[in-house]
Amino acid sequence: MSTITISNLRKSYGRIPAVDGFSLEIPGASVFGLLGPNGAGKTTTFKCMLGLARPASGEILYDGKPLAPAMFERIAYIPERSVLYDWMTVEEHVEMTRRAFRSFDPARAFELLATFNIDRRRRVRALSKGMRTAVMVALAFARNAEILVLDEPTGGLDPVNQRHVLSLMINEAAKGNSVIFSSHQIGQVERAAEHIAVMDRGQLILQGLVDDLKADRKIVEGIFPDITFTLDGIANDARVARADRTERVVRLLVTGGADEIAERLANAGAMGVRVLDLNLEDIFLYAVSPATSTADVVAKETSS
Amino acid sequence: MPAVLTVDPRSGVPIYLQIIEQIKRSVALGILQSGEQLPTVKQLAIDLTVNPNTVARAYRELERQQVIETSPGRGSFIRSNGVTESPKVAAEIGRDALDVALREAKSVGLARDEVRELFDAALQRWFPTFEK
Repeated sequence: MSTITISNLRKSYGRIPAVDGFSLEIPGASVFGLLGPNGAGKTTTFKCMLGLARPASGEILYDGKPLAPAMFERIAYIPERSVLYDWMTVEEHVEMTRRAFRSFDPARAFELLATFNIDRRRRVRALSKGMRTAVMVALAFARNAEILVLDEPTGGLDPVNQRHVLSLMINEAAKGNSVIFSSHQIGQVERAAEHIAVMDRGQLILQGLVDDLKADRKIVEGIFPDITFTLDGIANDARVARADRTERVVRLLVTGGADEIAERLANAGAMGVRVLDLNLEDIFLYAVSPATSTADVVAKETSS
Repeated sequence: MPAVLTVDPRSGVPIYLQIIEQIKRSVALGILQSGEQLPTVKQLAIDLTVNPNTVARAYRELERQQVIETSPGRGSFIRSNGVTESPKVAAEIGRDALDVALREAKSVGLARDEVRELFDAALQRWFPTFEK
């Protein structure tokens, strides 16, 4: 049930800040998706959560308490890069994990390995990237951990096995455990995650319930009969996060009140006013791409 | 039940709303009948591979809209208060669809009379009355 609270986290590698004043609350008993372009700071955040990197400042609390050695038993981690030993067999990794963690269930690990069609006698050297990911997944999900931190847990997996990993995550959440994962496959995050956060250049730029983000964020589009028109101050509404204009077409990214803003746009003289849904990929792309500021559009509006 | 239930997570429509819409539709069509038991939150989450809290949210909302009722320890059921809910739910679905159509007609600048003409033609096509 652990709630994880990250406050004002900072971590630099050399002079480059990887995480730059990042705060986030991750609710327990759910699946949480961390999104962001390459180099956004997701892996660094995970490493700080696991005590594998020491933050320059800030703190990470689990149910209000800092990470302590006793908690490693309760947290399972799949790192972004394989940490398996090339010269060891899959079976030997299961044995090694059994010795390290009391609540690890070797029978469950073998069962999971079988569902991924992995021969336990093979050496890691002989495994493909996807198979190595599957081995790490099997080891992590057999840990009986309360918190699973999964950095790209479907890397290299085929669609069937990707879906299988998502099902395992859902199952953990249904048992009351917490899953925090990152993925570049937005479709997976969209399906399995209840909450998401989007990081960009070390900072939090967007967070919320996936369903609420989709319910609130809409594109309101309208076409004006003439090139000269006035938006009547609509672009200055706090809920209009972004306004783009091409000739007679105006597209507004709104963070709420779509129907009301659509009506105002129609009253301002726009024809064919539509409210368009956004999926998570659209929401993500809008969040990480530089916005045409509303001021620009308004300026354009008055100059044309 | 729902071999009939599917969600499209890539859609811009929130997953919990998709679940609500489909359960209501199933009720309206009589696929789900009053008193019928729904899968548990956990089971439906696993079947659809979506977050359990998302399914729970859909169930809570369906309960608030009086489509289903949940009794602790027994599970969730399609509401059975003597009268079947399906005509009411069917009317709601029809009203919502008409709303969308009329909004679209208005936004492309059709006048009231033109809309009525189109409506009458569509009504005749889908609900034909034969005159001698």
